Amino acid sequence: MKASDLETDLGYKPAYTNYPDNDITSGFTSDLLSDVMGNAREESVLITIQAHKNTVACCSLAGISAIIICSGRKIPEDMIDAAKEEDIALFTTKDNQFITSYKVYGLL
Amino acid sequence: MSPMAIAEEAKRKGLDVIALTDHNTALNTPAFMSACNKVGIFGIYGLEITSSEEAHVLALFKKPETAMEMGKIIYKSLLSIPNDPDKWGDQVYLDDDENILGEVDKYLTGGASIYSISELLEMTLERDGMFIPAHIDKPLFSIKSQLGFMPDDNFTAVGVTKLPPILDLKGKPYITNSDAHYLHNIGERSFTLDIEDLTFTHIKKSIKSGLITIN
Repeated sequence: MKASDLETDLGYKPAYTNYPDNDITSGFTSDLLSDVMGNAREESVLITIQAHKNTVACCSLAGISAIIICSGRKIPEDMIDAAKEEDIALFTTKDNQFITSYKVYGLL
Repeated sequence: MSPMAIAEEAKRKGLDVIALTDHNTALNTPAFMSACNKVGIFGIYGLEITSSEEAHVLALFKKPETAMEMGKIIYKSLLSIPNDPDKWGDQVYLDDDENILGEVDKYLTGGASIYSISELLEMTLERDGMFIPAHIDKPLFSIKSQLGFMPDDNFTAVGVTKLPPILDLKGKPYITNSDAHYLHNIGERSFTLDIEDLTFTHIKKSIKSGLITIN
């Protein structure tokens, strides 16, 4: 699947326009960044509530393509800047991590 | 472990400076200032905040009023459950004469603030405080366990429990401290600071400059 499928198929809101339409081949749900770094596969979409720039730094190291911030948590500007810089697509949704994981799994 | 007991124990252990940092509240800092003044020890007033990453970070201030102001914001932002005193103990705060003023409703160590490490850093620095991520090398509630790497943020210093530090600190100064949760632990892992004068501003400056000797 493509990152843009999260917007078109699930209605998830991109945090910035003209995001890179990265390939997504897997998913990973976690709020513990050391766990993401150690266990997420490359080209994953990360499903999390950790809305801060260190999440982007971690995803960049782990080769993650996109991030979905769940439960309507606000994304700070510096996180958006970091995502642009690292070419990682970034979305928000009001769904929690469980519902988001279920929906994304259906697309993969 | 009342404010007066902490101040007296710190004095008895030969410390010159001690900070009070309750988890996610600063409501005992006014009583602690009074206790420090009575005992004759230099007090620092702060709190140990659980960030949204669930890492413990220290925000330290010159005055109890500033710590209280920060504490109010943090407590409000804390996603937690009501405290059950039978299970987790009383969460009381005291006045200058050690009378109980009240009890805190939310379970202080059972949740996390909605603010991230970077946001808490900014909130602390704009109040002229010191910002020190706590016990960064511990397996729980630490920079290492929650992030796995040292962020680039401009921390005043970081707190370590073991030497040499096991993470790349990216040139940040480090301190050791007791993280005392019981009176008998006060004074463990203390450090000596090279300072011009015993004021908060000079303490901050020396820590930031790394003029630290681990005892």
